[in-house]
Amino acid sequence: MDAGQLAERICVRIALTLPAFALAVDLQLPGRGVTGVFGPSGAGKTLLLRAIAGLEPVATGHVEINGQIWQSDSTRLPTHRRSIGYVFQESSLFPHLSVRGNLEYALQRSHRGRSVTESADLLGIASLMSRIPDRLSGGERQRVAIARALLTEPRLLLFDEPLASLDLHGRGEILPYLERLHDELKIPSLYVTHAPEEIARLADHVVLLSHGSVVASGPLQDTLARLDLPPPFCDTAAAVIEAVVAGYDASDRLVRLQFCGRTIYVPQAQAPTRKRVRCRIDARDVSITLAQQTGTSILNIVPVLIAGMTEIEATAQVLVKLDAAGTPLLARITRRSWDALQLAPGKPAWAQIKAMALVG
Amino acid sequence: MALAADAGAIWLTLKLASVVTVLLLLVGTPLAWHLARTRAWWRRPLSAFVALPLVLPPTILGFYLLLAMGPQGPIGAITEALGIGLLPFTFAGLVVASLFYSLPFVVQPLQNSFEAIGERPLEVAATLRAGPLDRFFSVVVPMSKSGFVTAAILGFAHTVGEFGVVLMIGGNIAGQTRVASIAVYDHVQALEYAQAQWLSAALLLFSFVVLLGMYTLKPARKMA
Amino acid sequence: MKALGAVLLAIAALASFQAVAKDSVLIAAAADLTFCLDKIILDFRQAHRDATVDVSYGSSGNFAAQIRQNAPFDLFFSADADYPRNLAADGFAGSPVVAYAVGRIVLWSATLDASKLRLTDLERADIVRVAIANPLHAPYGKRAQEALQASAMWDKVQPKLVFGENIAQTAQFAQSGSVQVGIIALSLARSPELAAQGAYYLIPDSLHAPLNQAFIVTRHGAENRLARQFADYIQSPPARKVMRASGFGLPGEASGTAH
Repeated sequence: MDAGQLAERICVRIALTLPAFALAVDLQLPGRGVTGVFGPSGAGKTLLLRAIAGLEPVATGHVEINGQIWQSDSTRLPTHRRSIGYVFQESSLFPHLSVRGNLEYALQRSHRGRSVTESADLLGIASLMSRIPDRLSGGERQRVAIARALLTEPRLLLFDEPLASLDLHGRGEILPYLERLHDELKIPSLYVTHAPEEIARLADHVVLLSHGSVVASGPLQDTLARLDLPPPFCDTAAAVIEAVVAGYDASDRLVRLQFCGRTIYVPQAQAPTRKRVRCRIDARDVSITLAQQTGTSILNIVPVLIAGMTEIEATAQVLVKLDAAGTPLLARITRRSWDALQLAPGKPAWAQIKAMALVG
Repeated sequence: MALAADAGAIWLTLKLASVVTVLLLLVGTPLAWHLARTRAWWRRPLSAFVALPLVLPPTILGFYLLLAMGPQGPIGAITEALGIGLLPFTFAGLVVASLFYSLPFVVQPLQNSFEAIGERPLEVAATLRAGPLDRFFSVVVPMSKSGFVTAAILGFAHTVGEFGVVLMIGGNIAGQTRVASIAVYDHVQALEYAQAQWLSAALLLFSFVVLLGMYTLKPARKMA
Repeated sequence: MKALGAVLLAIAALASFQAVAKDSVLIAAAADLTFCLDKIILDFRQAHRDATVDVSYGSSGNFAAQIRQNAPFDLFFSADADYPRNLAADGFAGSPVVAYAVGRIVLWSATLDASKLRLTDLERADIVRVAIANPLHAPYGKRAQEALQASAMWDKVQPKLVFGENIAQTAQFAQSGSVQVGIIALSLARSPELAAQGAYYLIPDSLHAPLNQAFIVTRHGAENRLARQFADYIQSPPARKVMRASGFGLPGEASGTAH
C-alpha cells in the first residue's frame, strides 16, 4: 500500500466492558463513503459510535481516522478535540438557542469558514433560521442537527439511528438529504441503524454487529449476500443491486431499469428522480428456474449462475447465492427443490424476482 | 436620630444580603456543579453537610461559629495568621456566618437545575468542539437561568431574615452588625413598640421590592 | 370512629391531670441570677418535695415585655426595680414590688488577669474589644455605661464595644475569648464556671446608680399558693445566705462584698 492509501482508512480497535455488556471490535474501514453499522437492538451499535466519538470513558483501544490518531494505548483525545460531527438519535438541538443560534454555535468553534447558508441550503433549512427547536417538526430538527454537525468541518460523520425517532413522513423527508450529503461531500460517515432499507439506500460498506462483536465487515453487496451469516441476519437475508433508470411508464406506474443487460420493472407511484438507483431484493422473493419462463406473471427474470448454497437450520429451506453478471443475488427455496432441480455451484439458471423495493 | 439608626439597620441588612448572595453564587456554583456531576464516595456526606444549615437551629450554628471564629477555633486561627484579626462582632464575621447559614438555599436550587440538564446537551457541545469550561458557560449557564434566579432569591431572602446566628455572633454594633432583625428585637425589648413596627414595615417593603425585581428576571414558564 | 373516641378520652384525661397538678410555678429571672437562683430553688425543693419549679433566665426588659403580653410567668425577678414597678403601675402585678438584692458590676477576662485591670486600662491597645450588656434594655448594661461615663472612658471605649443581649450573653462573649474584657455581673463572675476561668475587678459602686434588684408575683401567679411560698422563701435567711455568697448586697445591709 502506498502512503496515500495508508492514510485513507479508518482503523477502529475497541474494547469496552460494562456491567451488563461487552463490546469488542477490530475493524479496518474505508476512509471515504458511508459505512453502515447494522444489527439488531442491543447489538452495541450506539456504544461503538460513542466509543469512537470519545463519549465512553471506559473504552480502550486504538482509533485512527485517515492518519489522525484519536486514541491509542498512550493517548486519548477528549471528545472536543476529535474532529467529528455527531448526529444523535433524538433531537439534540440546544433548547435555549434558535436554529440560527444552534448553527452559529458550531460555526464559532470551527476553524474554517463554511458559511451557515451553505449548510442550510444543503439541508433545506434556510427558511427555519429564526425558529426555536420547540417549534420544529422531528424531520426539521434532525436536518438542523445534521447541518450543525457539518459546520464543524469534521473529518468523520457519525449518525446514530438519525431516523429512528421520526415517523414515516419525517423519514421520507430526510433520506433524500442524506443521499445528497453522500453524493456531494467527501467526508466519510459511519451510519448506525437497525433498518435494512436505510443500509441498502445509503451504505457503501457495511459492518454487521451482534452481541457486541463484528459478524461481518465488507463492501455492501458482497457482505449482505454472504451465506455464512448467523441469525438474525440470515433470517432477513436480502441482496442489494444497483441499476440505471431507463424510463418510467406513467400509465403502468412502472420504473424501467437496466440491470445485467436486461430490462427489469419496479412498481412505483411516481417517476424516480435519480439516474442510478438501488433495489433491495429479499431472498424470499426470488425463485429459480432452469429454463427461461414465458407466460408467467413475473416481470423480472435474469440469467444467473449458481454460486453457492447453505442450509437454513431447522427449516425445510436453503439459501442459495446467485451470480448475476457479477452482482450477487440471494434466493430462498426448499431443500427438495434444490435436490429436484439438481442445482450445484456453477450451473446456469434463471432467477425470477417477484418483488423488489426501490430504495432510491 | 432613632430614624437614622433604624435606616442604618435596614441598609446594613440589605448590604449583608447582597454581599452574601453574590458570594454564595460565586462559591455555590462550582460546588453545586461538582455535586451534580460527581460519582465519588463523598457525594452523599458532602450533600448532607451542605444541607445541615437547613435543620440546624440558627442559634446552634451561631454558637459553633462563635467558637470556631474565636481565638481557640480553627477559623480564628486562620484569620489571625492572615493578620485579619478575629471575625466575631464584625461585618465580615456576619458575612462568613451567613455563607454557612444560607449555603443550602443557594446550592440546592443550582444543583437541581444542573441535574435537570442531563448528559445529552453536554455531549452535543463536546462534539461541537466545546471544551469543559466552554461547555459550562455556553450550555449549562444559559440552560440554568431559572435555577440561578431561584438561588439568588432564596439566598437573599434567607439572609434578610437571619436573626439567631446574628444574635450569637453579632454583638449588636451599630453600622457593623446591628441588622434590622436585631434592631426590631431591641426596640421590642425596650418596649418601643412604635419604632419596632415602623422598622418591620420598612424592612418588609424593601425586601418585597427587591424580591419582586428578582422574580421578573425569572424566565417565563413554557406553556406545553 | 372508636379509635378517635379513645384518643379524645386520653387527651381529656391528660389535660385534667395537668389541671390537678397545681403545685408548679414558673419564674422569669434576670440573667445575672443564673447560678445563684438555681441553688436557691434546689434548697426550696427540699422543703417542698412535690413542687415543680421552672425558671427561665433572660433579659429583664424582655421578660417585662412578655409579661405585658400575658406570658405565663408567676414570678418575675428583675435586675432593675423599674421594670416591676412599671408592671405594677400598669396592673400586671399580683403583689407589691419587693427588693431582693443589690447587684454589682465587675471587669472580667478569660485571657487577661482582670483583678489587675482598672477601667482606665480599657483604652489599651491590646484590649481590642470590650463587651457590655445592651444599655437600651439590660440594667447591667446601663450601669456599665454609667460607670464608663463617670470615669471619662466612654468615648474612648465606645468604638470597641460589643453588646450582649443580656448579661449572661455578655459573660459568654467574654468567655469565648473573642472579646478581651467584659463588664459583667459580680454574681456571674463568682459562679463556679467563670471563677475557674478568670479573675475579676469590682467596679466601685460610686461610679453608677445602684442595681436595685426587685421582684413581683405577677398577676398570672396571684392565685398560685406555691408562688407566694417561694416569694417568702427568697426573703428568708437561708436564701439570703446564698445570695450573699454570690456577691449580692442585700437590702438593709451594707452593699459590697469581700473577695
